[in-house]
Amino acid sequence: MDNNGRRTFLGACLGGIAAGFAAAVLWPVYRYLAPRSGGGASAKVVIPEKDVPEGEAKFFEFAGASAVLVRKRGGELVALSAVCTHLGCIVQWEKEKQDFLCPCHAGHYNADGVVTAGPPPKPLAKLPFSLANGAITVG
Amino acid sequence: MMMRSLLTGLAVLVAIAMGCGPVQAEDIVCITCHGALPGKYGEPVKLWQGSIHAENGIACNACHGGDPKDAPNAMKKERGFLGAPKYNDVPEFCGRCHVGVLKDYLASGHGRALTRGGPNCVICHGSHQIVKASLELINEKSCSRCHSYERAKLIRGAMQETEGIIVALDKRIAGYKAVGTDTDRLEKELFSQRNRFHSLFHNVDVKRVTAESTQIQAELKKLDTTLKGLDEQGRKRKLAGAVVVAGALLAGLLVHLLRKTFD
Amino acid sequence: MELLKRLYKWVDVRVGAGEIVEKELTGYLLPRNINAWYSLGSVLLFIFALQVASGILLLIYYVPDADKAFKSVTYIMNDVPFGWLIRMCHAVGSNMMVAVLLLHMLSVLCMGSYKSPREFNWLTGFILFTLVQGISLTGYLLPWSQLSFWATTVATNSANAIPVIGPQLVEFLRGSKMVGPPTLGRFFALHVAVIPAGIAALIGAHLFLLKRTGVSKPPFGQSNTTNQWKGDSYRYEDHPGGIPFFPNYALEDARSVFIYLAIFMAVVFFDPYLFFPKDAFLPANALVTPAHIKPEWYFLANYQTLKIFPNELIGLSVQGAAMTFLALLPFIDRGRERHPLKRPLFLACAIGGLLLWIGLSVWGHYS
Repeated sequence: MDNNGRRTFLGACLGGIAAGFAAAVLWPVYRYLAPRSGGGASAKVVIPEKDVPEGEAKFFEFAGASAVLVRKRGGELVALSAVCTHLGCIVQWEKEKQDFLCPCHAGHYNADGVVTAGPPPKPLAKLPFSLANGAITVG
Repeated sequence: MMMRSLLTGLAVLVAIAMGCGPVQAEDIVCITCHGALPGKYGEPVKLWQGSIHAENGIACNACHGGDPKDAPNAMKKERGFLGAPKYNDVPEFCGRCHVGVLKDYLASGHGRALTRGGPNCVICHGSHQIVKASLELINEKSCSRCHSYERAKLIRGAMQETEGIIVALDKRIAGYKAVGTDTDRLEKELFSQRNRFHSLFHNVDVKRVTAESTQIQAELKKLDTTLKGLDEQGRKRKLAGAVVVAGALLAGLLVHLLRKTFD
Repeated sequence: MELLKRLYKWVDVRVGAGEIVEKELTGYLLPRNINAWYSLGSVLLFIFALQVASGILLLIYYVPDADKAFKSVTYIMNDVPFGWLIRMCHAVGSNMMVAVLLLHMLSVLCMGSYKSPREFNWLTGFILFTLVQGISLTGYLLPWSQLSFWATTVATNSANAIPVIGPQLVEFLRGSKMVGPPTLGRFFALHVAVIPAGIAALIGAHLFLLKRTGVSKPPFGQSNTTNQWKGDSYRYEDHPGGIPFFPNYALEDARSVFIYLAIFMAVVFFDPYLFFPKDAFLPANALVTPAHIKPEWYFLANYQTLKIFPNELIGLSVQGAAMTFLALLPFIDRGRERHPLKRPLFLACAIGGLLLWIGLSVWGHYS
């Protein structure tokens, strides 16, 4: 093969690889920039209202982690993550005291998830929920 | 040695910042005083320094009360000082923080035997050099102080497998954490299962232990599946990497050959 | 093909593209004995472009707020598609840039290309070296990890030893007494806007000077390897009978870039955490200093030097003197000889200096 022929051949091969590289760069960049779809963690959970009487708490699973619905004295509903913000244990509801106690290191939260005693650094995360036709939809 | 000046300067800066924050464990008067005392008065400090409590910033006053900043009044009752608890009061003492464990213990054979000479917390865990709980605490030497090791051995056997799985998962998660993977959920879930598992330790009912262990292993399997997913993702990325590197080398070779045609 | 030719003609009659191609590409002649080391500059340009591109992409998701920075980087690494790739390219790329820069500097030193009339080129290059160190230092803080926080604390603390203004200088650098949100703010502005602009400007100057003076001829394969420059008037150093930049040397540049890409991608895909201790993945905690904080590998020699000297000021001054010496090298070494083996004093100092730097770095790593 003479020089010119070689050049054309090599040029063509390089062109192919360059196109491959271009695709290998453009595809990830496109995906990186593209707007994200809703996401799988938006699976909602529906709980009938009557399952949460006044002064009681109902624990359920939401977005792969433990969550809790509380109906405070006076009727107000609160939806919280039940994962203790200290080291991740699941908190327990104390009916007599109307608060949450973490059995691992005695962290205390009030019915709104605010830390009242112990090592937890942050309040229990609030979860969005809506009420309609006697059913509570969390998420 | 010369690093001392740099480190001291740094420590001073850190200490200044800390004046506004929580008192660093090493500065409390309990340690300053007892650390220098001989014999049994100074020993707890050294033992505590090797403990998991020390690692997490839980110092003397957290358990014994008292004033950690005011030396003359540090051990006054008015400042909340509780002193060393009596033998039968030890479970309540530790149970102020370890609520769940106290509940399990009191319901267990050991707890019910407390007032009849049964073991309190420090008999197995020690009082100051308390380390991260593991199955090692159930051993012939420790258990045969009061009774034969038979049943304890069965319980340990039943739990050994689960303990092994937990330790292995912990290592794998740590491995992924060290490469920037968001292991938050995994760590919390493992921690939760580990705690659930360890609450079995205080229950000396063999049947219950075996049943719970099976359930816990099922939950742990889920973690294993997640980690396997991460492993697979890692493999795919490495494969893509190999293709890219090969492509670059090939391109380099082609350019080299092309270059030679111009000589 | 015919279409391309027509397009080219259309542009040429308006802009004189043909003339430019003739002058800068096919007609730009390089010495026949030019070697691959001369392509490191192009590799550096390529790396810089990659850093800017990956940096801009990271800017889209990164949040420069002390409370959110670490989480935003975790988000990029775990949830954004290919975020891990962009981030690792940027992090590994910064280390590669320093490594290739050191090699480039080494080759210039070896071939005596810093000598007259190229003093300006050496100076702009030296400033670029300093700017690259600065951009690496400021970038290091941005993920707001334990490593970021404490490495920045140690690094900014070194200014403390400067007499009279030391402590105020440290506070000014940090924007507060301790490293904190004000530090993140100013380091972010420096890293993303000020220093890149500076680097771009200096690259422009560096390349202009290169083109204006003409590429130096490697001192190999000839009997007379002394500097022929007379210094009486400006003269472009041409290389008649040399090889054209395009396509000949452009292809060598491309080859070097591809080899670099292969090495770079191998690191990114197979061991990107080479430069990441585990403290890099713990969020910054102002109250807990990790046990073995060390700076990046290219700062280890500086770190170790500070540790050796009993007085921090002496440690700093020694480093300052070394850097100044390096910066002013073309004015200190005025010898005409360019071949490395014919410059025994230079070679001794250079090899000694290099071994010292490597030795200090290794020591710094293990201390």
